[in-house]
Amino acid sequence: MGALLQVQDLVKRFGGFTALAGVSFHLQPGEVLGLVGPNGSGKTTCINVISGLYAPDGGTVQYGGRSIGGEKPHSLAKAGINRTFQSPRPFLSLTVRENVELAAHYGDPRPGFDVDALLAELELDQYANRPAADLNSAQQKTLDLARAMATEPRLLLVDELAAGLNPSELNRMADRLRALADGGMALLVVEHLMGFIDKVTDRVVIMAAGKEFFGGTLADATKDPEVIRVFLGGGHHG
Amino acid sequence: MHSSRTRRAILDAAIATSVVAVMGIARGVYSNELMLFNFIMFLTLSQGLNIIYGFTGYLPFGYVGFFGAGAYGFALAVMHLHLPAFAAMVCAGLAALVLSVILLPLLRLSGAYFAIASMAAAQALYEVIANPDLENVTKGPYGVSLSGVFAPAASYYLALAILAVTLMLVVWLRNSRFGMSLQAIRDDSVSASMAGISVVRGRTVAWTLSAVIAGLVGGVFAWHISVFYPDTAFDLSVSIFATVFLLFGGATTLVGPLLGVFILYGVYNVIGIAVPQYFQFTYGALIVLLVLFLPNGLVSLLTSRGIRVP
Amino acid sequence: MLIGAVIAGIFFGLYFTLVGLGLNLVFGVMRIVNLAHGDVLMLGGVAAWALFTSLGLHPLVSAVLVLVVFLVAGLPVYYAVVPRLLRSRDSEMLSLILFFGLSQMIEAVTTISIGATERSLPPRLMGVGPIILFGTRLPKAWFYSAAASAIAVLAVYFYLYRTRLGTLTRAVMVSRDEALATGIDVNMVSAVAFGISLALAGIAGVFAPFIMGSITPNMGVAINLTAFAVIVVGTLGNPLGTLLGGIIYGVSLMLMQTYLSSWANLLPNLLLIGVLLIRPEGLLGRKVRRA
Repeated sequence: MGALLQVQDLVKRFGGFTALAGVSFHLQPGEVLGLVGPNGSGKTTCINVISGLYAPDGGTVQYGGRSIGGEKPHSLAKAGINRTFQSPRPFLSLTVRENVELAAHYGDPRPGFDVDALLAELELDQYANRPAADLNSAQQKTLDLARAMATEPRLLLVDELAAGLNPSELNRMADRLRALADGGMALLVVEHLMGFIDKVTDRVVIMAAGKEFFGGTLADATKDPEVIRVFLGGGHHG
Repeated sequence: MHSSRTRRAILDAAIATSVVAVMGIARGVYSNELMLFNFIMFLTLSQGLNIIYGFTGYLPFGYVGFFGAGAYGFALAVMHLHLPAFAAMVCAGLAALVLSVILLPLLRLSGAYFAIASMAAAQALYEVIANPDLENVTKGPYGVSLSGVFAPAASYYLALAILAVTLMLVVWLRNSRFGMSLQAIRDDSVSASMAGISVVRGRTVAWTLSAVIAGLVGGVFAWHISVFYPDTAFDLSVSIFATVFLLFGGATTLVGPLLGVFILYGVYNVIGIAVPQYFQFTYGALIVLLVLFLPNGLVSLLTSRGIRVP
Repeated sequence: MLIGAVIAGIFFGLYFTLVGLGLNLVFGVMRIVNLAHGDVLMLGGVAAWALFTSLGLHPLVSAVLVLVVFLVAGLPVYYAVVPRLLRSRDSEMLSLILFFGLSQMIEAVTTISIGATERSLPPRLMGVGPIILFGTRLPKAWFYSAAASAIAVLAVYFYLYRTRLGTLTRAVMVSRDEALATGIDVNMVSAVAFGISLALAGIAGVFAPFIMGSITPNMGVAINLTAFAVIVVGTLGNPLGTLLGGIIYGVSLMLMQTYLSSWANLLPNLLLIGVLLIRPEGLLGRKVRRA
């Protein structure tokens, strides 16, 4: 079975700064891939390019066998790619329910998504009719995830969801992501907290300076001398 | 859940209908028709501005450009094509539509840049129309006279019809998913695109709708007043008044701009016409105080307490 | 004719650098747009006119008085509105509206006090006869206005790059939050910048009757569009760019007036729209567009 997402030699530059210097990796349905690396190694840029916020300057992004580099985010959302944001970006003046409802209506090609069931599952149901601005930041993160899930993605890009959550919220979030993968969704998880990465991912890609330099399990990564050198040199988080 | 939404929509529509009814009846009871006509004009313009500012967050300082384009679209159609008034009204709407399409690239600009660029665009159009070199086409700075089609009653009721359509459009935006998607774009355009909303399409629709409304108001103004100058049709105070009324009442709501027009334009008609500078000073001060203390308008006194305002 | 237009344009452009410089300083430091800038300029002109007609004061003396008074007046105005404004969610947008309100108040008060008629000063105050430069005849007033502008521009550079407060001002321009975190009194620095900006507008106003022929209480809007065109062409937030923007504006205005005079008023508007659409970051700047 072919990969759902195939990133090949992806390059992204901002002016003179090269954020992605030819990174490559792939992802199967039902698989959780962790994207790990020091700050500035290009993890979030990767997500931004795959989700269509930036057009790549080189290389290819293949999704379900077709090239999607440069496509607009809203059409990628309809095609089944969605994401969360490092700092959540809900629609503050709309209610929690409206936030999710819009995504289910505009981003999900299949009709009949059960918004209320999703809100209940994510324990947001008691706030359903309150403006999103009333939520605390952990709840806004969950709402961000709900907004992404309402489009019924086949590929979910998760950008530092764990930061700022307390240990019990963290565990619940990890279980949630695992359950999504078990349901067949492919997940790309950017995270600093190694415990979280360990719990959720099947495999990691370690990045430095816009390129991958290790691919495999986290257990193998911790034994790799090159990985240890980069992390001790670049600051180990978590 | 669903029935409460339907109830809201019905309440909104009822408010809109009663405003139109009041302005229709008022003509029979009150003799100052021009003043009533001006009320209808500003009720419509502030709601037209509400569509672009309230729902998408873009504030065009040069909104009067569409009004002027409509007024001259109407005038040129009457003078050169010898069209009857209703056909000329179509030209008024078209002129504003064409202008809004030409100015679509302005939507790439953010907040203040957009506001000022739109003002520059309105000024540029004014400079072209008022240019003495174009006297044969536009009558330049000397103004146009359309006495041949003058029809105060018909133009009054047409203005009322435009108001009715505009109010219904706002009611629809407030109660439809499309309107909600516009607010999502306003809150966070990146997030909105991730929800599958086409940001460019949403903004384009709101922009052209609000432009065509101003163009139609400009057209019916030209018809009703029948003699006017480029200075009147492109008077920046038209933008200013509409903006202040909208902000004073509260954008994105239906009643906010209505309140703004009835209260402020009411006050203007009592004290403003005799000594316009006192009014200018008062609304200048009002804007300053509003921005500092009530940036979301009168209605925010209620909405900030969790009370829904139609 | 071409050379004449270019030389006249450079002089004119220096003056418009002065017109835009204060607006740009405020935007650079506070990220707000002072839409009352043109009205402050008008007040400077009114002050020069009033001081001359009542006390017979020479405009160059008035310029010094205006400089001091406007600089000092800027401080309370800053503290009254700006800190509160900067705490709001969309301060850039709200600043446009707030200062617009302020500009309406200034215009109204001025009209009530001196009437709406055009006011001018006798051009002979700036010396009789033209100055001839490379065969081009320029009014003496232009020469003095350009000289005063050049001095003001240099003074602003000296302030920003050679004084301690100026260094702090540049730090705030780079990042207000960082500056706050390092313990800089951001409000004090900004208040002084605001005062300087009003003083610059005031001085430009003193020369306005000579450059524009006359002043009226409602000239503010047109001045604002021009000043905005100048600083957008140059690059918002970059005072050095204002000089470039002013000269480009001045030269193109003179070229328009020489070869296409009836359309010259279109220039600032088209320049503004054109630059915003083609290169919204200005000629010297980085990107400012929305994503």
